Amino acid sequence: MKEFLLILKGDGMNHLSPSELQSIFSDYKVWADSLGEQYLSGQRLEDSGALFVDKKHEIITDGPFLESKEIIAGFFLIQAEDQEEANRIAQSSPHLGLYSIEVRPVAFPKMK
Amino acid sequence: MAKKSEQIVEDLFRTEYGKLVTGLIRFFGPGNIQLAEDIVQETLITALDNWSMGQIPDNPTGWLVQVAKRKALNELKHQKIIQKHQSSILYLSNPEAELEHIFLENEIEDSQLRMIFTCCHPSLSEESQIALTLKTLCGFGVKEVANALLASESTINKRLFRAKKTIKDSKIPFDIPQGKELENRLDIVILTLYLLFNEGYNSSSNNKMIAQELCLEAIRLVKLLSTHFKENKELYALLSLMCFHVARFEARIDYKGTIILFEDQDRSLWNKSLIAIGISFLEKSKNAEKLSSYHIEARIAAEHCMAESLANTDWRNIYSQYELLSLVKPSPIIDLNKAIILSEIAGYTESLELLKQLEDNDKLPTYYLLPATQGFFYLKKKNYSKAMHYLNKAKELKPPLSELKLIERGISECKEKKVSN
Repeated sequence: MKEFLLILKGDGMNHLSPSELQSIFSDYKVWADSLGEQYLSGQRLEDSGALFVDKKHEIITDGPFLESKEIIAGFFLIQAEDQEEANRIAQSSPHLGLYSIEVRPVAFPKMK
Repeated sequence: MAKKSEQIVEDLFRTEYGKLVTGLIRFFGPGNIQLAEDIVQETLITALDNWSMGQIPDNPTGWLVQVAKRKALNELKHQKIIQKHQSSILYLSNPEAELEHIFLENEIEDSQLRMIFTCCHPSLSEESQIALTLKTLCGFGVKEVANALLASESTINKRLFRAKKTIKDSKIPFDIPQGKELENRLDIVILTLYLLFNEGYNSSSNNKMIAQELCLEAIRLVKLLSTHFKENKELYALLSLMCFHVARFEARIDYKGTIILFEDQDRSLWNKSLIAIGISFLEKSKNAEKLSSYHIEARIAAEHCMAESLANTDWRNIYSQYELLSLVKPSPIIDLNKAIILSEIAGYTESLELLKQLEDNDKLPTYYLLPATQGFFYLKKKNYSKAMHYLNKAKELKPPLSELKLIERGISECKEKKVSN
């Protein structure tokens, strides 16, 4: 089993309607439950925060800093056999459509 | 992860959104609709975060109210000066108590009543009134409002923005009008809710769910008004009319989304209990000082709903109701309906003559329903070339999708029959 980070990108949840928010919530529960042990963690990120580009400049902004489709909205850490399985999991996520999802293997699996 | 309750009530977010937004608009003043909406949106997102990770609270509604109140108080600290153009500035001295009061059960209803009058203020255009009502009181998202009203999202966004700006700039109050003003304002409110209902009922939106929700929301708001203005007979007439229409919702569209003509509807699919509720509202609407168009329309709908079969329908009564209606509310659409009813009493030939006269009406040339009716009547008379002519004309006038399918079916029937002749 390898670990994969699913990076959700897109404009926060501010433009979603109450019904859409509720359906994300319900679908998310079902999805996370269906993953069982393969689901390790996940969290939404606030739009605000800070951005540092190099050592010389101290840049702190309130965000959002990027084009809205580039904003990292949240992440999931999952376990999967290989990239294909991780891709399948990402594709089954209820967040897809509202966000784009980048599926990246974690480079150094933890020693067991 | 131990989970107790997996489910929350369907529509919880949408209905709570409406309640919280109206409550917070009362708190911050109607010039701050956007602020109230932002706070409630954040509240729902906070709920999503918390409930996804752990458990759904035992009292989700109470949880949402608490979070919204906290966020509102924080906001108050942030922007020390909030211009509230309303008389009451009580909350400035004790905002916690004010919020506590606002979110009491009966006060939520009171806020919603006030909000109806604010949304339907005569300074706003009819279309803005409808969009704002759906967005704030009913908790629809911009995309859903756009879907329901068949407009683009950017159009709806502009409409909402303008409406909020007008409310702020013209200092439109968040109050139920009193005395003489009330009657006029109530007329406008009733008309807006009637139009809102029609948007849902006649919706050619592919989303049947949204269309139905729109109708149910209209009913909810009219009911709310009727519990407050108990003496107003028009509200009962409108409620009765709405119940009769919604009772036929299932029977009038097939599983492919094609409209089913009234004569072909399966009457067993009509909702009997809703029809009964409609009848009791119709009773309550009686003895009105003035006979409104809602009264007459309700009577017409009642006649249709209570007839055991199409053949048993009292068409003469319906025809005379339409005659009455065209006196109260003259419109070429009502003349069109009258001509259609005439076909049941005097036959297609006479009805088609009357329809022919309507072709000259300035307001009707772009309305698909006139040629569509003519086309179908000629189809009944087996005059396929004329039927084809009118159905093609109707098709060119861009009918809603659900009716387009029916018209196309008629056209292909004409083609088949012409070939076999």
